[in-house]
Amino acid sequence: MAQIVFAAGAPHAPGLIGLLAAAPSEVRDVVASTYGSLAEAIAGARADVLIVFANDHLTNSRVRAYPDFLIGMAAEHRGPHEWFKPWIGCDDYRVKGAPQVAEALLDGMTRRGIRMFAESGNLKFDDNISVPVHLAKLQDAGVPMVPVLQNCTVPPIPDQHRCYAVGRALGALIRDDLPAGMRVALLGSGGLSHEPGGARYYFIDEAFDRWFLDLVASGDHDRLLRELTLEKMEAAGSGGTAELLAWVVVLGAIGPRPGRSFGYAAHKDFKCGVGAVLWDMDANRRSGGSPGSPGMTA
Amino acid sequence: MGLEKFNPSLATHDLIQDLKWTPALRDAFAASEASVLDRYALRPDERRAIEARDFRALYDMGLHPYLGGQLARLIFGNEAGKGATVAVNKLVESLQGKGAVG
Repeated sequence: MAQIVFAAGAPHAPGLIGLLAAAPSEVRDVVASTYGSLAEAIAGARADVLIVFANDHLTNSRVRAYPDFLIGMAAEHRGPHEWFKPWIGCDDYRVKGAPQVAEALLDGMTRRGIRMFAESGNLKFDDNISVPVHLAKLQDAGVPMVPVLQNCTVPPIPDQHRCYAVGRALGALIRDDLPAGMRVALLGSGGLSHEPGGARYYFIDEAFDRWFLDLVASGDHDRLLRELTLEKMEAAGSGGTAELLAWVVVLGAIGPRPGRSFGYAAHKDFKCGVGAVLWDMDANRRSGGSPGSPGMTA
Repeated sequence: MGLEKFNPSLATHDLIQDLKWTPALRDAFAASEASVLDRYALRPDERRAIEARDFRALYDMGLHPYLGGQLARLIFGNEAGKGATVAVNKLVESLQGKGAVG
């Protein structure tokens, strides 16, 4: 039985790199505290593999043949893709892959009735993977990565119930399919509120962001699944906020448990709210219980 | 103006995807936009909207907003804090009522 030793959700707005230096100091402080804490937690988790779920952003597939989940099976992941370099403003990076875990993920999800697609070559990465790699210092951590790029924006979008069910299957797969003793880290990359390409491009829904961070840190997954609807996320920023569904996959895998945030910042030039949550993977162990399941079916 | 008008069959989606994936096509687009547009099965009103930089019209036809943002960067600039900011402002100006911003 493998175990999940790290689980977090964090934004990947490109401005967090390219526009950070020009941001007010209080905003820079939140970014530094947030990603510094995540980098420290990842390094301390001594994980054998990091599986990152993130919005694909229409970066790898055409709109008429769009996978809901696309696994990167490469032995090494390189980014960012050429066109996104000036936009993100980050250096090139290389992160070791985990082809065997990627293969187990594809096979295990297929057996569990969840269709995922996979690519053996290098996927095209934009801010979805590039921002966490840089800000959470994933190169330094040296943990092999399996990126899973998901459909958060091309209708029909897998909703919160579907993504949670995918997460529950992922949790079962980690427990039952991966090698005994393997330590697995999970990251949901995306959000908070934003509307990329929309008429409200500079809109940040601070009330939504604070509500969401409090909710996912509370561990109340019944309420999460009731209230985090696609309609609510679209109202908080069309075509962008729904990438919080990557966090929902992680939450499905870990089950209800508390988490903590590292502050919140809304900076207009980022065009995205900033805040992360790190879930306490020891919480239920300390209280003598086991992660429960909200009242829904997978 | 969200995803409710999304039309996956719109050829402009392919144009944008190909431009961001293919540096040589971007060079050709910069040198002779018309010759690149000729390669795609664009509707007449779709082509006119691209030429006029009328993002609002393209969105009304069903262009996915995320790719609309990328089209704006392909046209007006893609560098953080510089051309990309111009692109965002032009796009918002079009979508909020001005229409053509060419």
